[in-house]
Parts: sequence; structure tokens; C-alpha cells
Amino acid sequence: MTRWFEDITVDEAFPLGSKTFTQEEIIRFGRLYDPQYFHVDPEAARHSHFGGLVASGWHTVAVGHRKMVDALFAEEERLRALGQEPGVSGPSPGVNTMQFKAPVRPGDTVTYTLTVTGKRPSNSIPGWGLLFNTIEATNQRGELVYHAELVGFSKLRDYRMPLWQRLALTLTRIPGLRKLVRR
Amino acid sequence: MNPVTADRRHYEDLAVGEVIALGSVTVTKEMIVGFAREFDPFPFHLDEKAARASLLGGLAASGWQTAALSLRMLGEAFLNTIASMGGLGFSDLKWKKPVMAGDTIGGTARIAALRRSRGHPERGIVTIDFDIRNQRGEPVMSLRLANLVEVRDPGRGEPPAHERSPGAAPSGGAAT
Repeated sequence: MTRWFEDITVDEAFPLGSKTFTQEEIIRFGRLYDPQYFHVDPEAARHSHFGGLVASGWHTVAVGHRKMVDALFAEEERLRALGQEPGVSGPSPGVNTMQFKAPVRPGDTVTYTLTVTGKRPSNSIPGWGLLFNTIEATNQRGELVYHAELVGFSKLRDYRMPLWQRLALTLTRIPGLRKLVRR
Repeated sequence: MNPVTADRRHYEDLAVGEVIALGSVTVTKEMIVGFAREFDPFPFHLDEKAARASLLGGLAASGWQTAALSLRMLGEAFLNTIASMGGLGFSDLKWKKPVMAGDTIGGTARIAALRRSRGHPERGIVTIDFDIRNQRGEPVMSLRLANLVEVRDPGRGEPPAHERSPGAAPSGGAAT
């Protein structure tokens, strides 16, 4: 899905859409993954420095991830509609930094934006490239909710395996040879 | 005084080097697909056939699910026993190995650093390093979390520098 590594433009901002967080959703996520009193108990939460119930930062991040996946699928559909073959995105190796800034309260609407800030071919996985992504989430007042710097994999369209690797791959397919090598 | 957290451990009661034993959780296929449908609907988290053809090599949990389950274990073992004021963020999250359907994850969390907030004398910042492993002891995820904790006696200053750890917490966080 999404674009091929070669077609991804650096520093282009992609709007990922918005989500309004309800009290029920905040409490449900909190009970499952982050059961601290200010994420699950509106009464007790009034005693916290938040002054009321707030969403787990991880909840806002998980929703941001969902928004990104939805955007990748939408891009895939757009490319297919144009008669083009979409690229392939892979799993993520990690997150460099995630800063929770403003709390998200019931009824708040969070808007997510993705920017690819850099890319390079992977050193460890041939045929794949690394994307360095920033996601920023803001609320309905324009306040920054979180800032994240993430890494993702994207497949190369024009990759051709080096000759020695293709040779090695062919050799491993010859029955009995692997056994022989192990001895 | 916050009645919810009055009896819990505060900033002054924590020490760098404390190791928190996390419980464990077995990640079932149903959990993986359920989480993926809501937050991470890539085919390699939803469908076994697509997963086998992917880089993951089989049905694997969303990395965010591994993180969320680790957070829950930390909540039960630690965050709900201290006067936590919520997270500031995290850094250096590394998904080292996929968590496959049927795997059991657990591990430890360690207090890597403690410091007082500069702007808010009633807040301390505890930095926690996660080391999450599967049932074979293989590391599956690590991350460094920064969490706020209430200071019991804000009038008293920061302890002398030699009692603090130089470990770096993620920067930023409007609350500090």
C-alpha cells in the first residue's frame, strides 16, 4: 500500500484527519491499558492536577496511528484509481521521541498531520527503505497535543538484488546443500 | 493534599536503580486482531496468510499493542502505587522482535533517573526504562518513559546533585 519509497516526497505534510474523543472511549482505553485514576474515574480525576478526566497519551497516539493507516489505504485507492500500482509499507522499527503536550479531555477534537522528514535505503533489510516521519496532533484550539518522531519501512520499486545475493539465494534452494554447508 | 494519592509513594520515596517486576500477559490471536481492527488494521496484524507473506513472517501483534500492554503492566505494578501525575512522553522505543500470536510477554522496568521539575516545585519527573521480553527471554521491546510524580514536600529543595542520576529524560512536555 501507499507510495513506493522512490515516490515519497520529503517535507510534504499529509493531513490525516480528526477524531473527537468521548468520555466512554477515554475510560474504555484507560481500563484496558492505562488504568490510572485520571484516565478511568471522572470523580477522582477532579483531585488530579488535570482537574478532570483526560485521555491516556497512548490512546491519542494509538488513534493517530489508526489515522495514518487509514491515510495509507486511501492513498492506495487513489493510485489504483489512476491505474498505478501502489507501493508497500512495512512494520515500524521504533519511535525516536514522543512528547505529550496538552491533555485531551472528553469532547476534544484532535487533528493529526504527518510529515516525512527524511528517507534512506535500509542497511539491514535489502529492498526496503526507512522513512523518518513526524506526526503532530493538535486540538480544536490549535494547541499541540503531541509531537512524535517515528520510523517506518517502505518497499523500493526499483530494487534489484546484487548478483552475489541472488546466487546465494539460488544455492540455498538446492536440496541437501544446506545440510552439507552445516557440516 | 490529593486524597486519591495521599497514601501512595511520592517523589521523595523513589530511588534510582529500583527495579519493578512486571507481570506477564499472553497475547492471543483474538487480542491481536481486536486491537488491530481498532488501531492498526494492516493486513499483517489481521490475517494469517497476509502475515506469513510479510516481513513479520506470521500473525504478530501491533507494536502499539505491545507498548499498551507493557504500560498496563507498569500501571498495575508501579504507577497505581505512586502519586503519578501522568506521562510526559517517551523516547527510544524499539520494537526488536515481533510478538507472535500465543507469545507471553513480561519483563522489568527500572527507575533510570529522578529530577524535580524546573517550573513546578510540586512535580518530580521519574524516568523509567522498559525491558520487555517474550517467553524465551528474547527482548521484544524497549523504551524510556518519562512520568510526572507528586512531590510530598515542595518547600524542600532538590537533593544534592550527587544523589541524582545524570540519566536523560525525554525533553519537552508542557507540564514541566
